[in-house]
Amino acid sequence: MGLVARAIERAGIPTVTLSVVRSMTDALPAPRNVFVRFRLGQVLGEPGHVDQQQAVLRDTLHAVDRIAQTGAVIDLPYRWKRDTYPLSVGVTSGATAQQGGRT
Amino acid sequence: MPRWWNQLQSVAYSRLRWLPEWYARTRASRSEDVPLPPLADLRVPLADAQVAIVTAGGVHLANQTPFDMQDAEGDASFRIIPGDVGVHDLRITHDYYDHSAADRDVNCVFPIERLRELVVAGEVGAVGPRHVGMMGHLLGAQAATLARDIAPAVADIFQADDVDLVLATPG
Repeated sequence: MGLVARAIERAGIPTVTLSVVRSMTDALPAPRNVFVRFRLGQVLGEPGHVDQQQAVLRDTLHAVDRIAQTGAVIDLPYRWKRDTYPLSVGVTSGATAQQGGRT
Repeated sequence: MPRWWNQLQSVAYSRLRWLPEWYARTRASRSEDVPLPPLADLRVPLADAQVAIVTAGGVHLANQTPFDMQDAEGDASFRIIPGDVGVHDLRITHDYYDHSAADRDVNCVFPIERLRELVVAGEVGAVGPRHVGMMGHLLGAQAATLARDIAPAVADIFQADDVDLVLATPG
């Protein structure tokens, strides 16, 4: 994702790039990197865990204001399956609500 | 390598966090074909920003041609995903990570529903009209094509849509 994010940023659009493999980010950093210790394939969190996915998405988007140097990395504090998350917002989809977040 | 071998390996790479770390340290491309650019400014507050997603998780529409899993160097092409897509119309084609969780809930790698929820909550301005699905794990000629042609083409799409911020996610 590093190369693609670089091209988008070069075109004048800010980017935030989520990563779960630290050494890959170190080898080819994107302009703004957000690292979370989650699994490949579940980079926003577990399936149906709305609170967790929202928290990771929210923190990742806000990195646009927190990173001031190109190539820098922010570490999110979340630990796989060990954290609680703020209540989710705006869940309107029936399918999503049925899957349920752990609140 | 046969597809079953890649798929088997992908499960180990997704379950054992040290394995992709080790792989990236020893094998990952350090291509500098696209130099690290200076940071672009977010022109509006996040609460007013139009946000789009580009994912390397192999996400595409069910009626689009799947990514090519026969080429050992991967598939550098991309698929456009409309912003109002229903998640049940999405599929994942990618043999190099375990996407069984994302097959059940695509938001694990392509958080389109979570983004819509943040818009409803007033935390994000709008969902972009077009998003982009790609696959990572590109090598050789496919990686070169990505750097030379595909990455700038993806940037053009977001520029044409007047997107304010792009979220990039791996698989």
